[in-house]
Amino acid sequence: MKALIQKDVYVLWKQMRIFLFVMLVIMVGNGTFGSVFVVIWCAMLPYTALAYDERCKWDQMAAMMPYAPRDIVLSKYVLGWLCAGGAGAFTLAVQAAIRAFHLPLEIGSPFAVLMSFCASVCVLAITLPLMFRFSVERGRMVMFLAIFLVCGGAGALASLVAPDSKPVPGNLPALLSMAAVLVPAAAAVLTAVSIPLSLRFYAARQ
Amino acid sequence: MNAIELSHIHKSFGGFAIQDLSLTVPSGTICGLVGENGAGKSTTIRLLMGALRPDSGAAAVLGTDVSSPAFTRVKEDVGVVLDEAYFPETLNALQAGKIMAGTYRQWEQSAYEDYLNRFDLPEKKPFKDFSRGMKMKLAIAAALSHRPKLLVLDEATSGLDPIVRDEVLEIFNEFTREEDHSILISSHIVSDLEKLCDYIAFLHRGRLLFCEEKDRLLEEYGVFVGTAEQAESLLPEAVAGREAKDYGGVRALVRRNLVPETLALERPTVEEIILFTVKGEEKR
Repeated sequence: MKALIQKDVYVLWKQMRIFLFVMLVIMVGNGTFGSVFVVIWCAMLPYTALAYDERCKWDQMAAMMPYAPRDIVLSKYVLGWLCAGGAGAFTLAVQAAIRAFHLPLEIGSPFAVLMSFCASVCVLAITLPLMFRFSVERGRMVMFLAIFLVCGGAGALASLVAPDSKPVPGNLPALLSMAAVLVPAAAAVLTAVSIPLSLRFYAARQ
Repeated sequence: MNAIELSHIHKSFGGFAIQDLSLTVPSGTICGLVGENGAGKSTTIRLLMGALRPDSGAAAVLGTDVSSPAFTRVKEDVGVVLDEAYFPETLNALQAGKIMAGTYRQWEQSAYEDYLNRFDLPEKKPFKDFSRGMKMKLAIAAALSHRPKLLVLDEATSGLDPIVRDEVLEIFNEFTREEDHSILISSHIVSDLEKLCDYIAFLHRGRLLFCEEKDRLLEEYGVFVGTAEQAESLLPEAVAGREAKDYGGVRALVRRNLVPETLALERPTVEEIILFTVKGEEKR
């Protein structure tokens, strides 16, 4: 599996050099949103790697090599975790540097970075099976449709349950501590369901 | 031990099907898989590498059932070259070598570097700038650099110029000097197969029409050239295929043991045997 991740890193590396610069621009000056966006954005890199694989028909080659289907599927998850983790670490390092040098730049909190890492694991768990089922091009359409339905559904539900609700600063610590438990738990549960599903979809494609 | 054993394989894709395919490649031999475009050569290779599951039948490579989990390990001993080098275009030969080193336990970096030099392949040029011939040479270099016991080559010599093709065929020949080394090679270039192979297997529309020792095949058949009347006098089962020539003449592929010994026959080429067999099959 290490070799498969190495291949994806080689493929992505050329993009990553520009990517690092864009990440930095988005991260500083956009507060928490910038940090969260960067981490979740990086978690999407396995889709780019999958698109390259599809373009050069790497799957056909990999099927001839001593890789189990499990290695091929898991490598994309691990790549996503590494990219999101790497982006998180990078964000934390930038935050530390900004604080250490007292720079007048708006940055997010370390807690937001950790939550966004867990959220990106959730996004990967939900979307990777779609990529293995429908291929990247169609999978992306289904992914956007799913995101639209989930976000739209959540918004509609919120307006139905509490139409006049406004953010209550007093409730924020309780909400944050709830999120600190729920988001990692959701990431773990979704991943545990997602990997067998991806394996099944990958096997069905053969 | 047999290097490859396919037994009564069926695989259907709707409009096309591999039907009752049984093929054995003994260890230490080279088998050429011939067939027209869409005959099922690449599908056969995918089936024997476990990349496709057959609807029925069994496949074993180097003594291991390809549907068993143990086959993943056996793939270490199989070098595969597909009809294209399916490496991502942004990679270069150096990076491909590093990926292969992480993939195969028996990877020999020095052997890989030797092949890169021998084939005159640049180490740092991305594959997108490689010609088709260069990509194929790289795939061959990668397949040979992890000490395989079996080489599975799908149109591996296509796209190579005649000089390099000859060199590559010599490398394949060198490879089979080891007693337990075998090759299954599919190609459109029948002359290459005739030069290289011990066995010839002919696939036509998903069915294996024959799999014979090349020398036996060449001894078994002869080419009859004569008049239509002479051809009509031959036993129908002796004629594997025939074609009309100018001025009422006939050229036919005949089974030597079913025609009179006095009849003058030309020695056929493998290509002629294949072409006549297809014609005979289409008549049926």
